[in-house]
Amino acid sequence: MASFLLRRVLLAVPTLFGVLVVVFLLLYVAPGDPVQEMVGERADAETIARLRRELRLDDPIHVQFGHYAGGVIRGDLGTSYITGRPILADIAERFPKTLLLASSAMVLAAIVGITIGVASARRPGGWLDRLSLGAAYLGISFPVYWVGLLLILFFAVTLRWLPPSGYGRVEFLVLPALALGSRSIAFLARVTRSSMLEVLGSEFVRTARAKGLAERGVVVRHAFRNALIPVITVLGLDFGYYLTGSILTETIFSWPGLGRYVVNAISRRDLPAIQGSVLFLSVVFVAVNLLTDLAYAKADPRVAYE
Amino acid sequence: MRIRPLLLVLATLACRGGGSAPQRNALVDSRDTYDPRSLDPALSTDVPTGRAVSYVFDGLTRFTPEARVEPGLAERWEVSPDGLTYTFHLRRGVTFHNGEPFTSRHVVGTFQRALDPATKGGRAEPLAPIKGSADFAGGRAKSVSGLAAPNDSTVVITLSEPLASFPKLLAMPVASIVPDSTPADFGQRPIGTGPWKFVEWRHDDYLKFAKNTEYWGGAAATDTLIARIIPEPSTAVAEFEAGNVDILLIPQGETAAWEETDEKKALLQSAPALILYYVAINATRGPLKDVRVRQAINHAVDTRTILRQLMGGRGYLARGVIPPILEGADTTRARFAYDAAKAKELLTAAGHPNGVDVELWHSQDPTIARLSQTVQGYLNAAGIRTKLVQRDASSAREAARKGETDMTLKTWYADYPDADSFLYPLLYSGSKGPGGNVSFYASTAFDKLVRASRREQDDAKRAAIYRSADSLAYLDAPMVPLFFYNDLYGVQPWIRDFKVPTIFNGQRWTDVKIVGPEQANP
Repeated sequence: MASFLLRRVLLAVPTLFGVLVVVFLLLYVAPGDPVQEMVGERADAETIARLRRELRLDDPIHVQFGHYAGGVIRGDLGTSYITGRPILADIAERFPKTLLLASSAMVLAAIVGITIGVASARRPGGWLDRLSLGAAYLGISFPVYWVGLLLILFFAVTLRWLPPSGYGRVEFLVLPALALGSRSIAFLARVTRSSMLEVLGSEFVRTARAKGLAERGVVVRHAFRNALIPVITVLGLDFGYYLTGSILTETIFSWPGLGRYVVNAISRRDLPAIQGSVLFLSVVFVAVNLLTDLAYAKADPRVAYE
Repeated sequence: MRIRPLLLVLATLACRGGGSAPQRNALVDSRDTYDPRSLDPALSTDVPTGRAVSYVFDGLTRFTPEARVEPGLAERWEVSPDGLTYTFHLRRGVTFHNGEPFTSRHVVGTFQRALDPATKGGRAEPLAPIKGSADFAGGRAKSVSGLAAPNDSTVVITLSEPLASFPKLLAMPVASIVPDSTPADFGQRPIGTGPWKFVEWRHDDYLKFAKNTEYWGGAAATDTLIARIIPEPSTAVAEFEAGNVDILLIPQGETAAWEETDEKKALLQSAPALILYYVAINATRGPLKDVRVRQAINHAVDTRTILRQLMGGRGYLARGVIPPILEGADTTRARFAYDAAKAKELLTAAGHPNGVDVELWHSQDPTIARLSQTVQGYLNAAGIRTKLVQRDASSAREAARKGETDMTLKTWYADYPDADSFLYPLLYSGSKGPGGNVSFYASTAFDKLVRASRREQDDAKRAAIYRSADSLAYLDAPMVPLFFYNDLYGVQPWIRDFKVPTIFNGQRWTDVKIVGPEQANP
């Protein structure tokens, strides 16, 4: 187990280095000039030249990259061109908010999605199954910004139960978590259902029933645990995406997370901010994948890592 | 039976809030769509920063909501007959939020700091007219030679050449006066002399200010001011409808919905904004070098219909670059009439009987994109075959500044309310490229007029020069000026004395108050 972990962590290093190189190259060839964004609509050539010099933007690309990569190795992601604040501090301020939103969406999706999935698998073709199929189609097809705006209009403007947007106490979390999690709810419900159906038709379930176990025990203790692997896969993937890309949800609900930070950085060509956050998010993504793999072993003793 | 308590809870929740006056003594603004860059005046290049700076700080001068310049920390000023020397008499008894008394030393210190390369501001353009500023910024001098403080309450500023609009430049955010000590986190916890004290900044969430009870201009009428950062306009509308924010910038796409509903219409306030929508024509590229081709482009576009149909009439047809509310505007100048036949005639005369091929660049902004598509349609119909090139704002701006675009449809926001803020950056030959002149227009006659206007101290004479310069450039057609935009605000019924500002930093919320429900819903 320990050696497996070590191997995976070591393998992540070249992956992250690759991310670093690709992002750096992409930003180098992409149009748009960070200095022009810094100085605003009017500037004189002298100021622009001076800033380019100070930011070492006129150095050859390998020198620039070496300078940046050297900083990263020392744990320094640099400072923002636009705000002058350290990137790491910016990330540290915003990531917990993204994490909170992503976790809430995931917990919500897991509870609702898996429950619906298990329930519909018990009576395939029943009313609940058909209703959840219809709802799942809608949930998967509706774009998140549209769902988000509908939720705001209905729950915040018409009913006035919840605040439309912003960050604060738990009532601010409900709508964005619901909007973000809606797709996962739908997807999880379907995956859980089909996985459960497969397991419920297998021989050990028949044996368990033949032993005279209560149906509840059969479904929860025997079938469900065995149906978990594909569900964990979906959970892990979606969680990774939520942590790295809940940009639309954060924008619609004015949620001060990392997604908005990245988008702002891109539109202002704030190179250190873009590079730093993409690198950080890659680390997060790699970590979530690793955790997913570990969860497989937890769910199914036949999966073992060494 | 168990459902009844739940219903009761829901019903109670549903009664919360609503369209009645709020139970808060805080003004809530919803206009910022992104986090300010910093609250340090020296770093101010964006509108959210500029607005926040105008709350916490004062300049020597400042703007009214109607965009007139009025005394700020300078009580009054005199200008020498040659227009080179300004003597500012400072207000006495003013203190910073930390108790430090304000004196002339702060003015000199602030301006040097803004110009100092070590501050990494990059936006000291408004201070560039001061004599010796370039030498200081370039590290060739230890101080700015044009700045002097003969005593505690007097500052004498010498310019390198006369500039009649200089007092207006001093009302810009970058010229706001800062205290002696500006620690590294000054941009996070600013201290000024302004009507609002900084309280809290939650990044990408909100800024909070408390009224400065000691303010020299009188304390603000309300205790707290909150500027929320709401990136999505539809969300801002929802917050307004839920009663959580006090003012709302009506998104262009929702103009009709607000103007056509009586109860919403009652909340609307409008003011002309100093914003020009225009198509810059790069006068140095291919067929566009010929003035007849550029005039043909002007004749080919039906701006009147565009303004009415596409913009819901939210604007004023442009016949030059000077907005009608500024001195020097000419509201009677003959416009290039919409006339496709005339456009074709001009093209033929210019040697292009079969038309020309050009590119029109634009950003992804929905309004700009829609305008560009419409302009393309008009141009194609007149034989000016136009290919649209859409890029993100940063890329489109960079290409235009490098002179790589035939035409660019864009906006221009005035930095200060003066014709000079349009004529000089947009059309002066010295402003080509990053300076703002992406038409790469260069006319000796025009340049001469602009220089003369900057020297002229007499307002009426200066307005006349502005008018001739504007006329001259209009006929040379280095752009299609489309229209000047109107800002449209929703203002909650419980808000009193809010005036829609014509310039971004012209509303400091000092007079604005929240009234009780009785007065809010008469």
